[in-house]
Formats: sequence, C-alpha cells, structure tokens
Amino acid sequence: MAKDSTAKPVYILGISCYYHDASAALLKDGVVVAAAEEERFTRKKHDTSFPLHAARYCLESQGIAITDVSYVGFYEKPFLKMERVLSQHLEMFPRSLKTFLSAVPSWISEKLRVPKAIRRKLGHKKGVLFVEHHLAHAASAFLVSPFSEAAIVTVDGVGEWTTTTYGVGRGNDLTLLKEIVFPHSIGLIYSTITAYLGFSVNNSEYKVMGLAPYGNMNPDTNEYYHKLRRVVDIKEDGSYRLDMSYFTYHYADRMPSGKLCALLGGPATKKGAEMAKRHQDIAAAVQLLTEEILTKILIHVRKETKQENIVLAGGVALNSVYNGKILRKTGFRRIWIQPNASDGGTSIGVASYIHHMLLGNKRGYVMRDAYLGPSFTTTEIKGFLDKRGIKYSEFKNEKEMIENTAKLIYGNAVVGWLQLGMEWGPRALGARSILANPCNPEAKELLNTKVKHREKFRPFAPAVCEDDALTYFDCDEPIPEPTDFMLMVYPVRKKWQKAIPSVTHVDGSGRLQTVRREQNPRYYDLIKAFGKLSGVPILINTSFNIRGEPIVCTPHDAYKCMMGTGIDYLVMDRFLVCREDNPKDMWDSEKYAED
Amino acid sequence: MSQGTALAFLKGCREGMHLFGQNIALIINTILLTAVYVLGVGMTSLIAKMAGRHFLETRMKKGEKESYWKDLNLGKKAVDEHYRQF
Repeated sequence: MAKDSTAKPVYILGISCYYHDASAALLKDGVVVAAAEEERFTRKKHDTSFPLHAARYCLESQGIAITDVSYVGFYEKPFLKMERVLSQHLEMFPRSLKTFLSAVPSWISEKLRVPKAIRRKLGHKKGVLFVEHHLAHAASAFLVSPFSEAAIVTVDGVGEWTTTTYGVGRGNDLTLLKEIVFPHSIGLIYSTITAYLGFSVNNSEYKVMGLAPYGNMNPDTNEYYHKLRRVVDIKEDGSYRLDMSYFTYHYADRMPSGKLCALLGGPATKKGAEMAKRHQDIAAAVQLLTEEILTKILIHVRKETKQENIVLAGGVALNSVYNGKILRKTGFRRIWIQPNASDGGTSIGVASYIHHMLLGNKRGYVMRDAYLGPSFTTTEIKGFLDKRGIKYSEFKNEKEMIENTAKLIYGNAVVGWLQLGMEWGPRALGARSILANPCNPEAKELLNTKVKHREKFRPFAPAVCEDDALTYFDCDEPIPEPTDFMLMVYPVRKKWQKAIPSVTHVDGSGRLQTVRREQNPRYYDLIKAFGKLSGVPILINTSFNIRGEPIVCTPHDAYKCMMGTGIDYLVMDRFLVCREDNPKDMWDSEKYAED
Repeated sequence: MSQGTALAFLKGCREGMHLFGQNIALIINTILLTAVYVLGVGMTSLIAKMAGRHFLETRMKKGEKESYWKDLNLGKKAVDEHYRQF
C-alpha cells in the first residue's frame, strides 16, 4: 500500500547521557536526520551531562518542536544499572566507601530521574521508553547497516550488567542470545592498562592502541602478554573470566590493583611520563590479549549463527587495529561498524529500536555517511567573518577553491577544513578536519607539536579516495564500508611507505579513511587535486581540535582553534582565512592542551 | 565607597555564601551517606556473607566451567515493558 504523502512524519528522539559521551539523535520516519554529541556544544570533552544542546540542535535542524516528537527513548535501564552498582558495594564492603560517597549523589540527583529531566529540560510530556544498553548498541549497528541479516557482537566496558553479547539480526528484528556480565569485561581490561600506562580512562584507550605497534607484537616473545594471560581465563568459545584480584574497578576509582602492578613490574605510570620500551610492550600485550579474545568470540559466533555478515558495536569496536584483521581471521565475509560505535552512538540505537522493533516498521535506511551534525550556510559563515572583522578572501568558484587549497597543502601548509555537517562519532572525516601533506616527512612532528600538542608516538591518518585505496593500502576486497569512517587499519603497501611517511605508522600500517564522491564531493575533489600535484592522492586527515578539546563545531570554534595553533589557513565553505593576516586574534593553546 | 565597589563587594559576599553552602552540603552529605553505607550496605553485606550469598562473581577457578557465556535471549518486548526503568 502506498504511503499517504500527507501523513505527518513520525519523529523519534534518542538520548544517551550520564556516563560518557552524552548525545542525541533524531529519526524522521526511520531516517537519521540529525545526531550530535553534547561535548561539541559545551566544549567539554566526553561531556556526560544531559544532551540539551544536542537535542535542541536535532529539533531545530528539522524546524520542529518537542511536541512534534512522538517518542523519546533512553539508552539504558537506570534501575538495572543501579542494581549492579549496589551489588558492587554490597560485595566489596567496606572497601567501596570512597566510590559510594562520590557516586551516590549523582544517582539520587540525576541518574534515577531521567523522565523528570527529559520532561523539565526538553518539555516532553509523554512517557520515556527505556532500552537495555547492549540492545541499544546492537540496534545502533544492525538497524542502520546495509545487511538484511547479520551476526551481532557488542563489547564495551559495562552497560547495566552486561559487558559482552552476541546475537543475530534479521530484517527489522534482532535478538541478543548470550552475554558475559560485570565484572568480567574486555573493555575494562583495556581501560585498566590504559590507566596503568598513565592515560585517562574512557578517553585515551586509542593511545594505547597507537602505542602497541612500538612494542613487541609477537605473542610468543612478549613477556607481558604471558603475564596478562594469567589474569584471564579464556575458553575456546571466546567466553572469558577475569581474576578480580588483579583489578580494583569494582570498588575503587583507580583501576589496576597492587597485584597487577607487581605482575607488570612496577607502579602505575605517572601522567605525562615518557613511554619506555616496557610501556610499549605492555600496550602491545593488552592489544594482543584483546585480539585473541575477540577472534575466539567471532569464530564462535560465526559457527553458532552461520551468518556471513558481522556487525560490531560498543567501545571495543573502535579498536580499528583489530577491526582491519577481522575478515581475514574469523571467516566473516562482510563487516559493518557504525561511525559512533561507543556509548555516544546508542542514541541512534534506541531511536532505531523504537522505530523498527517496537513500531514494526521495515528498514529502508542505511548510514552511508557521518555528516549528521550542525552545518553552516555560506551566508552564516560570511556573516561570522564580517561581524568579527576577520580578514579573509572568497574563492571565485569551486574549481579555484579546490585547486588553491590543494596547492597550499602541497606547499606544506597546514589547513583547517570546515564543510558540510559536523561528523557523528569520534573521527574527523573531512567536515571538521585538519589537512596536511603526507609526503612531507616533517608533517607528523609539526602537527603533533605545533598544532595538536600531543604525544610524539601518535600516528596520523591518511584520507584516500575509495577508487585509489587498493593502490596504496592492502585492504580487504571489496573495501569494507567502515573504512569510510576511519574504523579499519590496514597495511600501507611497501612500495608506498616511504612516499607517505607521515601517515605510515611504525609497523607499516595506516588508519585510513576512504572517501566516496557522493559522501563529500569537495573533500574527494581536493584529495584528487592534491594527487595531481604530488603524484600521491592522499591527505593527512586529523581531527580539528587541540588535545583535550572536542572537535570544533562552529566557524567560531574553528577560527579560535586555528588562531591558537600552528594551523596556517582555514577553509570554511568558499572562504579562506590566513592566520598571519589576523595577528590580533592569535593566542597560544599549548598550555591548555591536556587529556 | 563607589557604587561599583559596593556591587563587587555584594557579589563577592554572594559567591562566598554560595561556596559556604556547598561545603556545608558536602559535609552533611558525607556524614549521612557514610551512615547509610555503614548501617545499610554494611549490615546487609555482613548478613549476606554469613549466609554465603555473593553479589558479584569475583572468583576465577580455571577449568571450573566449559563456557562463561550466559543465556540472555534479549529481543523485542511489549512496548509497556520499555516504559519501565528496570
């Protein structure tokens, strides 16, 4: 039956907050029309607070009021989570006093009052639908994936009780079949080692992943891997259990126990300390352990579900180093991961769950790009530049813009790039990016020290047009779609490693982003234009922010970031701003750079 | 004293009182929550432990089980069940 074109659209708002990466997402008749994380508006990285700004943006982007929204969904069941927290205190009394005192006030004031917060802050008078955390994760991946059938695996730190699940999705339905529950968690092992290495938890796990290739990635000879293996009992079906005497996260705020520190040969590393060979080997060990567990899980899930497609969700699904190995190691033929696979992405999950599973609507939407955040018109950007008295120039046309920007990058300038809607998820994908020349051997150090103010060991990502990717990278074929979201690491082909030193990691790999023209034509054309000049159609693409800050959202954020760093030019829509032309607004961001 | 100085003084007083109130609230909360923790959580925990009840599976005995997967079967439920927070 044809759909009545005059029928009012059904809007569903998904909300995720109060743990990390608060976000809001809006579905219109099953299509994700807007989604954003709260941190981009409040400028507090990993902001946990109620996503008021993000929700307002979602509504304003469609020109609707909250009264037009039919359903509001929340990404977990707060009382089930409270039950788990209480169980931790009951089990660990009296050692959990400190965390009890710090955690309980927020439970009383906000976490158990979600409907009230939604009613008061958004004015939503109807009820709120609550969906289990891992169900929201699973829905956030499968229901927006290109697959009609797939196996589903969700792995994160912890939801209510669950830390790892697997199941199957078919059509507009999915079921999670098995689980592993708290305190046993791959995500929390990784976070514990992150804390042990002096990095911040729920923020810097990707740094450990970047550090690992500097260490010994051979499981036979890495002594720390063998030590960590004692901490976990892993079954052939991938299920696992931790020896909790090595951990304290179930009752304290510091994660490795004294026993784990002794096992790893010393106390936890101080924040900001230099990473020695030992630290690199420990990072390699936890990466190896994670890969071993995940491989066993995925092989088991493939066997149990007999599916050829796999979708992954949860924070562990952001482990792009492992993601690039999945198809070669596990027997699955196709893979899908949503660009915001971590908790932030569950707002899309809960909204999709309501639309497809509760309301019974068929699927018709696939997330092909991640530009779901705020965008700015030419008039708005010009208005900002004029109002602030910023010196700028305007390109005459698209061709001039692309060619001149490519020339600037080829001349080793660092360019801030603000186009389209802001990216959904933790990766900059050519809408809020800093771009540079990957052929310049100095580019990595320049970006790490003068622009991003971050650790020297951290690699930069290459952006390449999808049709050129196989020339330069040893990708799976056909190239998996999550590569578009910078979620897969693949080897750089040996022949090209020396040509693009700034995006080739120490182990010869690159966390590439493939770009299809239909996703972002300007970005695609820019990469091609740069290729004509340099002979290598690849750009360095790193997130448009300084360390410790969220990625920029508005033209104001972008301009401020440029003026505080070593970014030479800013291209916003068709406008070019040169840092040197605006000395009055220069400032030094280095002292503000922190995790 | 100029009007500006007076306003700055009043603003300082207001901020000071606010900070004072926050500190008092923190102290009272800490005392009350410690009492709840010791009497509520502590007593329940002790009684449960005496009865052999555990709230978390914190012990690992290698070879104890063939698999650690637990049945979940979590999928579509009635709409009403989703209005509950548990």
